[in-house]
Amino acid sequence: MLLFRSEDDVLAWCEQRRLTPGEIFDPTRLWPLARAWYDDRLDPDWRRRPVVQRQAILDAAGFQGSFWRLIDS
Amino acid sequence: MYDSRIRLWIYQQFADTGRAPSPVEIATHFDLTPDYVEWALHRLQIEADALVRIPGSPYIWMAEPFSAVPTSFVVRSGTRQWWGNCIWDSLAILALLGLDGVVCTACPVSGQPLLLSVVDGALVDAPGIVHFAVPARDWWRDIGFT
Repeated sequence: MLLFRSEDDVLAWCEQRRLTPGEIFDPTRLWPLARAWYDDRLDPDWRRRPVVQRQAILDAAGFQGSFWRLIDS
Repeated sequence: MYDSRIRLWIYQQFADTGRAPSPVEIATHFDLTPDYVEWALHRLQIEADALVRIPGSPYIWMAEPFSAVPTSFVVRSGTRQWWGNCIWDSLAILALLGLDGVVCTACPVSGQPLLLSVVDGALVDAPGIVHFAVPARDWWRDIGFT
């Protein structure tokens, strides 16, 4: 989960590693996800959220599609 | 019975100091034996999925979104500083702590410095483009690469 200067740099990075490019998007989309995903970590009784709840957070932040599925459905 | 308290204290130490406590520091703080703490950290990793230890070591590597080891993502707020595991986690540190600040990183191909700024709780300056290489279902398969 890295930040690149441009999409061309992403493609060059993937090519160097013989990786298929994953998902590319503007960093502004990550801010609401960062806020929602981790907002419980300082709770004294924290437990990792069930996968259904985590999936709902991804969905609500607009990260939808097969790449963003936490489990096969 | 101590696991939840240990987990919370680890997070508080990360938040306050930017570093993870060692097993000995945890044992001293809670007046526990080092063996007990090592098993507690084992449970927190394997059963609770709450942290990751450095492979082959009892020391904490990460408690998401914090990293105990230097990374290419430096998070700063005033005079305070943390390391994030990735761009997502780095933004999450500021979000979790409710702080304004910056995330400093560099493009891994061009080397161009990239600075993201959070002001008044909003991401106001966000150059570059994010790449997630690993599909969500595989994020925890190799968390170091993810």
